[in-house]
Amino acid sequence: MKNIYSILLLPLIGSLATAQMEPGNYAVIPDISGTQPKADNGNSRAKSSSKSSSKKSARNVDEDDEDDYDDPPARSGSRTTNYDDDGEPENPRLLGMELPLLDPSSDTMTYNGAKFDVGNNAAVRAMFETYLSQSPEDSAEAKKYRKRMADIEKLTQNNARKQNEVGSDTLAKIGRGLYEAGDYPGDGGQANTLAQGIATALAVQYANRTRDRQNQQLDHEIEKLVRDTNIKQTRNENRPSKEVGSGRNRQRQQDQGKSNQFLIAQQTANIATMQGTKTKNEAANTAAMELAKVAFQSMILSQLADRRFDHVVIASNAYRHIFRDGSSKLDLKKDSQASQLFEGIGGMPPTVAALSSFAAGTRQKVDKHMQSVGNLLAQNKLGEATQHLIEAVILGEYMESVVTFPTEGRRRVAEYWTLRKRSLSALNSRDYGTLEEVADKMKELDSDFDDSMLRSYISGRKRQSDMCLRNAKKAFMAGDEEAANEYAKQAAIIWPRNPNLDKMEEEVVKLDNNDPVMAEFKTLMGRKEYRHIFNEQDKFEVVALDKDLKQQYKDCITLISTIDGMLKQLDIAAETDRKMGPCMAYEMLVDQREKDARYGEDSAFKDAMTRFSLGAHDFVQALEDGKEQESRGEYGSALANYYRAQCLYPKSRMAKEGIDRVSQIILKSKF
Amino acid sequence: MARRKNNKKGGAKSQTPLYVGGGVLAAALVGFIAFSGGSSKSHADKAAESFRVADYRMNASRFTNNHYRITGRVENIETLGNDRLVAVSIPGSDRERLPLLVRSGVAGNVNLTRGDSFVFDVDCCTGRDEDMKEIKGVLVVRNVETK
Repeated sequence: MKNIYSILLLPLIGSLATAQMEPGNYAVIPDISGTQPKADNGNSRAKSSSKSSSKKSARNVDEDDEDDYDDPPARSGSRTTNYDDDGEPENPRLLGMELPLLDPSSDTMTYNGAKFDVGNNAAVRAMFETYLSQSPEDSAEAKKYRKRMADIEKLTQNNARKQNEVGSDTLAKIGRGLYEAGDYPGDGGQANTLAQGIATALAVQYANRTRDRQNQQLDHEIEKLVRDTNIKQTRNENRPSKEVGSGRNRQRQQDQGKSNQFLIAQQTANIATMQGTKTKNEAANTAAMELAKVAFQSMILSQLADRRFDHVVIASNAYRHIFRDGSSKLDLKKDSQASQLFEGIGGMPPTVAALSSFAAGTRQKVDKHMQSVGNLLAQNKLGEATQHLIEAVILGEYMESVVTFPTEGRRRVAEYWTLRKRSLSALNSRDYGTLEEVADKMKELDSDFDDSMLRSYISGRKRQSDMCLRNAKKAFMAGDEEAANEYAKQAAIIWPRNPNLDKMEEEVVKLDNNDPVMAEFKTLMGRKEYRHIFNEQDKFEVVALDKDLKQQYKDCITLISTIDGMLKQLDIAAETDRKMGPCMAYEMLVDQREKDARYGEDSAFKDAMTRFSLGAHDFVQALEDGKEQESRGEYGSALANYYRAQCLYPKSRMAKEGIDRVSQIILKSKF
Repeated sequence: MARRKNNKKGGAKSQTPLYVGGGVLAAALVGFIAFSGGSSKSHADKAAESFRVADYRMNASRFTNNHYRITGRVENIETLGNDRLVAVSIPGSDRERLPLLVRSGVAGNVNLTRGDSFVFDVDCCTGRDEDMKEIKGVLVVRNVETK
């Protein structure tokens, strides 16, 4: 068979047709199970989206966004043509009904030319969630029903009787068993339908048998009439050509001949009438039989589409008991989807046996899916288990292995399924923060959950939104309010719940309301009162919205933070070594002040200078005396002072420099 | 230990009482020389007075033209060619260093090394640099002896 998983889901047709119209089903969905993201926008949108994906990748973000948000998604309306939007023929129809096809390679189902993600389709979601919320069907009544169905299936495997017999004890037992099984609510009346189908087919055959008997009777009568007609004809032919005998006798002979000719004509007409009746009966028989077969096959296909595989097997096996002419060829419309479904058997015509084989094979596949679900749950691989369970439920919702799946397993899958649903919901609403949280939880539940593609997608979208916000800020600073609004709008479209949107709004409002603050900031910067700004940094933070003031603000905060950090460390050092600590601290402060004059402007820095100068009084005095003596040309005294400073703090850079400098002057001089 | 040996440019004024005193002293000196054999070292030690590094730091020019005999340990040596500027520590002044200029050849056979103590004969001088700017209060070593 061409694609055994192209299972027909007729019961979903109605709900799918409704779901297809739901706007919520149109969204670009990255596959969070780790496969390639796919479009699920309904109708041709899905196809065109996949076909043009390479083109779309080359387009810029804005165009992407427009595609995502500005274009209303195409919706399927009523179809009046036989071709979809891509010019491809619609799905073929069988018996007036179109067959939805499930493509397991992409988790999509095709119906009426539209593609649906089974994980994001309202109908499938509802079906799966209903299944997960139900209790396992393991009651005594359910077990009894399943045993009865198994017994009926065994009965159908008995040999059929002769061709010319209608009905049998086996068929009677099958019929009774089906009527009894039909009482079970979980059967959904399918067994009754099957029993009625069998009864109807048998009724047709009884009618045919009556017509056959009538035809047999007619054959006898025709034969009799033909024989009699032949005798009369022979007599007339053997009559002498010349009139013999007396006039009365001659008259009698002439009347006899005329009478025979009249009877022959009448009998010939009767024979013709009977032949016509017989032919009519035969035609009626043929038509009734064909109609009965088509009706029965239609019923089997309907149950196949309803995924009642047990009923399909029973009906297919019962077919040979009902129609014993040996012909089990399916009367399928050429090029219909069902005919394509069975066309792979070496070019041979599809048969009822093929349906039985198909149903049996699908039952086996569903059972394997359910085995996989059990194994995967044992390994905590919830993602794969969920996928297998969805496929099993979609394929064999009513099968024993599916309906008896334990509550605990359903609960675990439901937990994961809820997260997956939340992730899709968050994705549809572009709530990437929530999406990340959900991805984390899914990762906790299933360590094999491949979230790399999802996270890349989120990261990319967030970055795009932040980039737009940054551009909006730049535009705002540049006074281009129109461009700023446009960028902010784009940022909001890409990531509506971007927290930086609120921040930017607050900043803009603050900026509008805080011109006096900016003026005060500039004044304080002019007075070099950095610590004042630092102490009220929250108040002055708003100036950072101004491109020029932003750097000044940052520098100011950094400067005071650095000074405070440095002073803290120096205090600790001075406290640890009371002899040399203050000397070291003093010299470091002098160094910093030489490197950056702003240090010397800070009040705390000045206080520290005073404090450490007092702590290292002799050292500081020696350095200052050395400098003063040096300036007066008293090089001997200056050098002695520098040496004195070095004695007090051997690591002193300033003392060392003074010694080196004055020593060289003395050495180069003449005395 | 540092002692001032004499003051070459002492400011004595010619006054009559001093002439009388000078004559007495000269007589006493002749008698002393005759008695002691004429030792100049003893005379220098006697004339010397104490030298304080702290005073030198405050105003070295005050000591200009004075000659001192200083005993100290070499703590640091700065060199320029064969000239050396040694920093010596003097007993009793641990947190002080006295810079002494030792010109080439002044030390003779004495090897100035760090950590060793020596006796330095020094003059407090005022020199000039290449720009003829005054370089005041520098102690220039005239002789070095091993202690």
